[in-house]
Amino acid sequence: MGHAVSVPLVATERLTKRYPGVTALDDVSLALDGGIVGLVGANGAGKSTLLKVLLGLVPATSGKAWVLGLDAATQGSRIRQRVGYMPEHDCLPPDVGAADFVTHMARMSGLPADAARERAAETLRHVGLYEERYRAIGGYSTGMRQRVKLAQALVHDPSLVLLDEPTAGLDPAGREEMLELIRRIGSEFGIAIIMASHLLGEVERICDHLVAIDGGRLIRSAPLAEFTALTRVLTVEVEEGSDRLADALARAGRPARREGRLVLVDLEGPPPYDLVRDLVVDLGLRLARVEQGRHQLEDLFRPVEGDTPDVGLLEAGPPGGHRAGDAP
Amino acid sequence: MNSRWAGTPPGAPPDGRGGRGARAVTGRQPLWSPAPVPADVAASPLAVVHVGRWYGNVVAVNDVTFGIGPGVTGLLGPNGAGKSTLMHMLAGLLPPSSGQVLVEGRPAGRDPALYRRIGLSPERDAAYEFLTGREFALLSARLARLPDPDAAARRAIALVDLEAAADRQIGGYSKGMRQRAKLAAALVHDPPILLLDEPFNGMDPRQRLHMMDLLRRMAAEGRVILFSSHILEEVERLAQQVLVMVAGRLAASGDYRALRHLMTDRPHTFLLRTSDDRAMAAGLVAEDAVLGVQLVDGALDVRAADYSSFTRVVAGVARRAGVTLYELRPTDESLESVFAYLVNR
Repeated sequence: MGHAVSVPLVATERLTKRYPGVTALDDVSLALDGGIVGLVGANGAGKSTLLKVLLGLVPATSGKAWVLGLDAATQGSRIRQRVGYMPEHDCLPPDVGAADFVTHMARMSGLPADAARERAAETLRHVGLYEERYRAIGGYSTGMRQRVKLAQALVHDPSLVLLDEPTAGLDPAGREEMLELIRRIGSEFGIAIIMASHLLGEVERICDHLVAIDGGRLIRSAPLAEFTALTRVLTVEVEEGSDRLADALARAGRPARREGRLVLVDLEGPPPYDLVRDLVVDLGLRLARVEQGRHQLEDLFRPVEGDTPDVGLLEAGPPGGHRAGDAP
Repeated sequence: MNSRWAGTPPGAPPDGRGGRGARAVTGRQPLWSPAPVPADVAASPLAVVHVGRWYGNVVAVNDVTFGIGPGVTGLLGPNGAGKSTLMHMLAGLLPPSSGQVLVEGRPAGRDPALYRRIGLSPERDAAYEFLTGREFALLSARLARLPDPDAAARRAIALVDLEAAADRQIGGYSKGMRQRAKLAAALVHDPPILLLDEPFNGMDPRQRLHMMDLLRRMAAEGRVILFSSHILEEVERLAQQVLVMVAGRLAASGDYRALRHLMTDRPHTFLLRTSDDRAMAAGLVAEDAVLGVQLVDGALDVRAADYSSFTRVVAGVARRAGVTLYELRPTDESLESVFAYLVNR
């Protein structure tokens, strides 16, 4: 296993977690090496359970997990000294200010009082909270709360932070700022990040590596680029007259499919680029796009025809049973 | 709905260059003069006419006028822009402080017959935790006095794909399941008008795909669907039309592509990869439509003054220069770009 040679950021070996009636993690083996890792999966696919096992908060049923070379089963508190965690749910006390709360969290991680205060101030400034930090958190907006949650995950200068849906509830400007912040934490501060998200668009924008789990099983763990590899289809977009372009291509022996304003040309065979260009000119069309298609992250979640997605059943769970993601 | 853009500099050509019936209105209508109501607004199934809503001194919605027809319309805006207030006024649950909200030509509110025409899925968790998903849909069906509430609830639960969890209490649901329970209750009386406040919140990728399919199908049946969202990629894929609220005002409405074309003070940028970037660049700079060309990382970065004329000439330039076009894509045409422009203005 990889962990024996150089210490990977995170490694699991046949990791399994069962709750009564539900298998939340099923034989998951993976090794991650840092950067910004996206963790995607359906609700109840086992994302939160995986994060909790890695933090040493939930014992695995079988298999092993290591974080920064530490055993999650026996060295949980040492892991938590070096790892920050931003939970998905609202977990902030309403009646204290962010400055006090983050200072408290720093002390919980073992910092002395003075250092804790200084680190808290610095971290809050870093996430973009200034004068507001002395006001009670109860009056904060969603964006400010998310920043406080992020600050408490960073205050003890961790080597790795686990972020669970960090952009939940944010408006477009707030999302943009949060993503930029995460990118900076990853690049400028060299802190490794594992980020669980439902929004594939943002995962695609900031992650280097992607882990997809479904029904507790690892579907794929690979660099992001492998999920969005080029397809063998050329997408051509014309403002009007996609029907005429498709017809002309067919007459020239190059059958093409139409999708609204788009004309999709199969790239097998001789390169179609000059043919497309010339037909657009001859037909007097307005050309807005010529681009080779890419696989989409979303394809991971499209039901294959004739195949019942078993994760849908898992999410619903047995009557009265636990949902995997919510299990204690 | 035509594309409208409040705040276009006075004197901008009213026909714009946006195509598709895009239209700019000049400036904001002063409150004290009874501004005319465009005919297409008054005739829309959902019409909002010079509507304001304030809470004490806080103005949540400020002199907003628009009409929405069949199909999917996306409602966008930063937090606190007035989206939910607008939804609640359209649903007849909140009277406007000024102006008129019309549903199928009748004033919204205090009209049970109209409530039967509308399905509302509010943003907040508005379900009773001790009910099961099925009971919640049933409650809604009984409120609407449907002849066969059980069958209606069953149908709605199936439509939102919640059958497996329908007999468990909502208190134990995940966020995605709660959203579907609220939607089932909103759909149970088969309303022709749907008002969905952030319906995708908390849904996972698979549930999002299912929800998008469902909304597209219902739009194809001729329903009027207004949904709000912060996820611009989603709005871009689902909505033919958008309404953008900024600080209580309607900043723009219409086809977002047409809106982008109305942003005449911002050049359109394209990325090109060709067999001979030098020859292509030389050909492009000779065109009036092109403001500038730069070679960046082995690709051409082209700034065009006008979208329409650039797309008309680019293929011809390539052919005359004997250049193969491997890639051409607009880099600044997304809804995100339009939204950022409107919000930061």
